[in-house]
Amino acid sequence: MNPTNPMDPTNPMDPAPALARVPARVRAADADRAAVPAMLAGAALLALLPAVLSPGLLNAANQMLIAVLFASAFNVLAGQSGMLAFGHAAYFGIGAFATIHAMNALGGEGLLPTPLLPVFGLLAGGALGVAAGWFSTQRTGVYFSMITLALAELIHALAPHLKEVFGGEAGVSSMRMPAWGLDFGSSLQVYYLTLAWVSACLALLFFFTRTPVGRLALGLRENGHRLKFLGYNVHALRLLVFVVSSAFAGVAGGLQAMANESANYVLFDVRLSSEVVLNAYIGGVGVFFGPALGAALMTLFGYFVSDLTRSWLLYQGILFVLIMMYLPTGLSGLLPWWRAHSRHQPAGRLARLAALSLLAGALLLAGTVLSVELLQRVFAQDYQAQLAAGQAWPAVAFLGRDWLPGAPSTWLLPLALLAAGSLAARAAARRWQEAGDAAPAAGDGGPTP
Amino acid sequence: MSQPILTLTGLRKSFGPVEIIRGVDLQVLEGERHAVIGPNGAGKSTLFHLVSGQFPPSAGQIHLGQTRIDELDAHRINRLGLARSFQITNIFPRLSVFENLRLGTMQRFGLQYNFWRPVRRARDVAEQTETLLEQVRLARHRDTPAGELSYSEQRALEIGITLASDPRVLLLDEPMAGMSREETEYTVGLLRELTCGRTLMIVEHDMEVVFSLSDRISVVVYGQVIATGTPEEVRANPAVQEAYLGSGSAML
Repeated sequence: MNPTNPMDPTNPMDPAPALARVPARVRAADADRAAVPAMLAGAALLALLPAVLSPGLLNAANQMLIAVLFASAFNVLAGQSGMLAFGHAAYFGIGAFATIHAMNALGGEGLLPTPLLPVFGLLAGGALGVAAGWFSTQRTGVYFSMITLALAELIHALAPHLKEVFGGEAGVSSMRMPAWGLDFGSSLQVYYLTLAWVSACLALLFFFTRTPVGRLALGLRENGHRLKFLGYNVHALRLLVFVVSSAFAGVAGGLQAMANESANYVLFDVRLSSEVVLNAYIGGVGVFFGPALGAALMTLFGYFVSDLTRSWLLYQGILFVLIMMYLPTGLSGLLPWWRAHSRHQPAGRLARLAALSLLAGALLLAGTVLSVELLQRVFAQDYQAQLAAGQAWPAVAFLGRDWLPGAPSTWLLPLALLAAGSLAARAAARRWQEAGDAAPAAGDGGPTP
Repeated sequence: MSQPILTLTGLRKSFGPVEIIRGVDLQVLEGERHAVIGPNGAGKSTLFHLVSGQFPPSAGQIHLGQTRIDELDAHRINRLGLARSFQITNIFPRLSVFENLRLGTMQRFGLQYNFWRPVRRARDVAEQTETLLEQVRLARHRDTPAGELSYSEQRALEIGITLASDPRVLLLDEPMAGMSREETEYTVGLLRELTCGRTLMIVEHDMEVVFSLSDRISVVVYGQVIATGTPEEVRANPAVQEAYLGSGSAML
């Protein structure tokens, strides 16, 4: 009857299956009690961070904060309202360009000095959100996702041609002008500027979930059809939620522009759109801070692992697939799951189970990394160029050792690690299952083996 | 004689070549409890869908009071004071029972676009929701996700959500289906109490409920109203006995 009925369990865009595993009672209570102290503690911790970080790491932390805000803004749609938007780079990008143009036009003086300029990101993201949201929110589910994707791609395709606005290949650059007695020349000052904005925005977004529209967003996610018969203009509500999400995505873009003192149309690339989806789902869209957690971890993951290996995107992909398969509530789903188990299990047994799981994880990780890195080196172009017909393949170096691609022992080690890891994982899964069966209430909460 | 509050005139609805509602004229009077009965597939639920704005009719008109509503969106019809429940339970499964009812209550206090005030501050909404929670006897399940309630509790919640927008006209689509005897009795009492000062239009298969609760009854058969009248009149109507119940009209 209704092709987009959110009650329909076959609706492929419905994030419900992932959320359904944690009882709502646990979710709501945990989020309520933990959120405010966690927020304050997190802000305090982040404020102290510059004392221990090098300037390079401080820049990474700045990027992390921006990603955290972006993912949280995205989650207003995806997690809270059940609307999976696929083109959020558009609002991030437009926020960045609006801010960079404001930096150039206002020069950090007058009523809107430098620290307040990301407000243009908010306005531009919100304005584009009104226009794009008006169309996309007329539909739900897959159709909504496709429209958001198409509109974002439209902007991505259009941007390079509008040279006056988006600066063509070179982009648009600017300078952070001094204001309020600060010169915004050091990464330290930029970091605190970002931290202030991100904290304020997260507090506002959290507050939003407690307002009538924030509650109605949950109603949209659960059953938008029913809301119509309770007197709500569902299209207007969806649009409102869309604009909130896109406006705060615009702030994230504005902060990025402030940090980089430039903006380029590459910001509109679909990669940014998909990154925010991945970050949010890795962290878990079911709780307020899930996407923030995912974005923080994945930014740090990218920062450190991309220095170590060229295959870091592959690892990121593997991580996402594994989390979606075995932990569909995301990393933040681990906490209620662990709590449910710890309520019913003796601590010793739980510790042994956790140790076994960690061992399995470590073995699988070692096996995967070893195979990926060896294969990547063997298939690299410069290595392939050294090969001569009829001669044995020369050794590749990894972890300070030489590995001969022709020798079986080279491949036996990663295979053995993977096999041992699989066995350990299987044993761990079985034991978690038994533990869950012994305490039925604990069983429906967590990762499936 | 009270005024008609809901007037259906020459109402028709086709889905492709199939005509489900084949010319319905019906008046529901202000303040009455009006039951719609008829065999399965007669078009009773479709009639509710048309009145509540789920689908537009193919032909004919619907008036709520003096206002023509057959071209309005569902949410506008609700704001004019007409709320409906659903035959298939239609709730917010992963939200708490309290939250389910509160979503219905907020609209009537004009909070539908409010994003600058915590909903907890709205005392009137909270009080109204708690009252409703007591009335539908779900107070002990206040914080339970609605999807975890038993079937009959979900039916009670369905009625509660429908009442939450404080409608003048209430359309209930088989509210008692799947309830035990005791639950049905309680719900009938509840409906008597809560429909005071309101108009009730109800589709129900439980004849005991229909005949004890209703002021008037309309019988729908094959997309048409074949009789309307008081329970006694309907019971005595030969066309009803023939068409709806066959010759052995023991149920009436």
